[in-house]
Amino acid sequence: MSSEELQDTDTEARFEFKKEQNSAFQTEKGLTEETVRLISEDKDEPEWMLQRRLRALEHFQEMPMPDWPAGPDLSEVDVGEIVPYIRPDIEVRGGVDDWEDLPENIKDTFDKLGIPEAEKNALSGVGAQYESEIVYQNMKEQWEDKGVIFCDMDKAVQEHEEIVKEHFMTRCVPPSDNKFAALHGAIWSGGSFVYVPENTTVEMPVQAYFRMNSEGMGQFEHTLIIAEENSEVHYIEGCSAPKYSHFNLHSGGVEVFVGEDAHVQYSTVQNWSRSTYNLNTKRAICEAGGTMEWVSGSMGSKVTMLYPSTILKGRGATDNHITIAFAGEGQNIDTGAKVYHNAPNTKSTIESKSISKDSGRTNYRGLVHIADGAENSSTSVECDALMFDNDSTSDTMPYMEINESKVDVAHEATVGKIGDEDVFYLQSRGLDDDDAKQMIVAGFIEPITEELPIEYAVELNRLIELEMEGSLG
Amino acid sequence: MSTQATSQLSEAVVREISEQREEPEWLLETRLSALEAVSDLDFPDVIRTPGRTWTNLDALDFEALVDPLNQAEEKDQTGPEDVEVLSFEEAVGGHEAFVREHFGSVVDPEENRLTALSTALFTTGTVVHVPENVNAEDVTIRTTMNSRSLFNYTLVVTEKNASVTILERQSTGADLEGERYYSGVVEIVGGENAFTQYGSLQDLSQDTYNYTKKHGDAGRYSTVNFIEGNLGSRLTKTTVGTDLDGNGSETKIVGAFFGHDDQHFDLDSRVYHNDENTTADLVTRGVIDDEARSVYEGTQNVGREAWNTSSYQRENTLMLSDESEADASPKLIINNHDTEASHSATVGQIDQEDLLYMTTRGIPESLATDMLVKGFFVPVLEEIEVEELREDLETRIAERLAR
Repeated sequence: MSSEELQDTDTEARFEFKKEQNSAFQTEKGLTEETVRLISEDKDEPEWMLQRRLRALEHFQEMPMPDWPAGPDLSEVDVGEIVPYIRPDIEVRGGVDDWEDLPENIKDTFDKLGIPEAEKNALSGVGAQYESEIVYQNMKEQWEDKGVIFCDMDKAVQEHEEIVKEHFMTRCVPPSDNKFAALHGAIWSGGSFVYVPENTTVEMPVQAYFRMNSEGMGQFEHTLIIAEENSEVHYIEGCSAPKYSHFNLHSGGVEVFVGEDAHVQYSTVQNWSRSTYNLNTKRAICEAGGTMEWVSGSMGSKVTMLYPSTILKGRGATDNHITIAFAGEGQNIDTGAKVYHNAPNTKSTIESKSISKDSGRTNYRGLVHIADGAENSSTSVECDALMFDNDSTSDTMPYMEINESKVDVAHEATVGKIGDEDVFYLQSRGLDDDDAKQMIVAGFIEPITEELPIEYAVELNRLIELEMEGSLG
Repeated sequence: MSTQATSQLSEAVVREISEQREEPEWLLETRLSALEAVSDLDFPDVIRTPGRTWTNLDALDFEALVDPLNQAEEKDQTGPEDVEVLSFEEAVGGHEAFVREHFGSVVDPEENRLTALSTALFTTGTVVHVPENVNAEDVTIRTTMNSRSLFNYTLVVTEKNASVTILERQSTGADLEGERYYSGVVEIVGGENAFTQYGSLQDLSQDTYNYTKKHGDAGRYSTVNFIEGNLGSRLTKTTVGTDLDGNGSETKIVGAFFGHDDQHFDLDSRVYHNDENTTADLVTRGVIDDEARSVYEGTQNVGREAWNTSSYQRENTLMLSDESEADASPKLIINNHDTEASHSATVGQIDQEDLLYMTTRGIPESLATDMLVKGFFVPVLEEIEVEELREDLETRIAERLAR
């Protein structure tokens, strides 16, 4: 696929195209113990994983729906209506390592999304998930030689059992964390496992792309990243789905273990269709001197509830959050960040930019907790919101809990409209109204796009152009 | 609810309070209805985050502290001649229609469990009426609580083109063993182009639980300002807010608090922009020492019709002790894009460089710290346009530092 075609600005052609549904195995709609057992059996999992799934199911059944003040409406999300597991019809489980070996419809999907192209140019490795399982998985040899592991999560359960058993939904994201983490724990499938050994720097990012194709399905991939002492890795996640009249549910789980002095960046460009509920739980535990960076662009979905969190566990650990939320018509993007400062000399910065237009709703919801004893910690939170019109809503709800006096805590937020004067200025220099507004938006999010690798900055800008089109005419 | 509470909180008790005051039927009905609602209503909203409730009101047995028939206080309410400053009883006796029109019009008596309790049981109160075009001097209200529990009510009505500044102080008189409960509801009706400034200094004893609900309605071009000084009490839960209902209306909520020992302050400021061209400014600064705990919540709510809104909020907390705890949550809820809004909040300690600078110039550390704390309060003190209140606050801050 040529890069010109990738510049296509028709959302439907680029992201929302549909393929015939073609599965090797799928469960019935709904969620019962039997469904959970079926999934586990289809994956030939060890007994302990089945037990974890069943325990998570119990949590799910007992726990209430999330009840945040002014939280998004989740009344439509009836898990009984979701097909939780669709194994795509491919010959090799765990992903082939050549795109040519994929069935034509799946290959074509990822071609359209530009994944093979990106792999050639800018990535160390790629995993691609279609419905419930990884269909393509490849990493450049040089990294394999250094002991880096990048494989699909189902395979990791089989081949790296001990390390997965120790880290999978135990102390980072236990299923008891929230109802959708519990749901995830019960029926998770697919996702990536990344292991970076000590003193290893993976120079180019690894990427996973998640694609939902079928109507009414749920995708529950699990990502586990372990970066050992003094290692470095950048993981990028992309996602999309066609739009259907019936809702889709995405409830991913991400666990990141940042070792001493290690550095992990986790970037997401989320472009789910406007019929998708995107309810994720992402968390990192950061040891002494480690750095965790979350970069999230939330463009798609009907409802997103996403608050990547970092537990700064070791002395001198650092967290950076960068989030962009863009809510257009019918979208409710409720996103933010959580940081727990549990050790001295820890530092966090949160930068959030949100844009709402055409009755879209954005909400920054964030929590910074500084524990007693976490002296000399500092945190700075900055939220800026831009509103296009009067049907839109923009909320900012930060929470700060400070149990230590030797700290430096600052939160700032602003909300404003697109400045008529700015638009006028640009128009007077020959830009039309649309271009002027696009330019202002691009300028508004620039502090964030400049933190992204160039390919993703370009992708993000293009997605925003897509969002801006049509409604401004 | 404990059995003791049930005996104190009965229909008979409420009827007795009302009869003693020869209250009209509608007021008795309002009280009885509030009483009935008490057990069904929730406590005032407090912030909950995963695994934590910032102020645990449910754990307090408010009803057990309530002794409705033995409420006693000293009240001193004075104002200039052109303003009517009446006790609630006088006002109901002489201006029943006026009281009836405004009572409960700004604060719903049944908004929550504690406002309902207050409405059912209040025995003392003040009504301030500023007639049209009157520019009144200061009105002062002093309430000294001399009983186990006291429920107080204040109504301020500022008519068109009138202006007034009201200073209210609450403190505790006679020494009593054990815990106490003070509850106050304040309603302010700001008429067209009127200016109302309501300052209060809460200095209750440190075994008193304090619940206060103050709310103003600002009409066209009206200004309703609040000044909130919180020094006393064991636990304070206060909600101060303004509805900017009229075109061009304004509000400013200025707060200062200083907590020490094991005091707990839960301070909630709210502004609702409901019409065009409204302006709000929320400024709070506080210091906490020892094991004190502060919870700050500030909400700026801009409604769909509130075109051309300006809304600002600043909150700063200074922590003097490692055992203290400061929680803050400034919130923006924006439904109209023609808005300029911002908020900021900080929590920190005494600046070590400032301290070093002063100690190297020969100022003992404890004195230097005191000076820096006083300096920290300056930005809010400057916002307090009422000299008397500002001086009182300064004095009390200095006293607390000297301790």
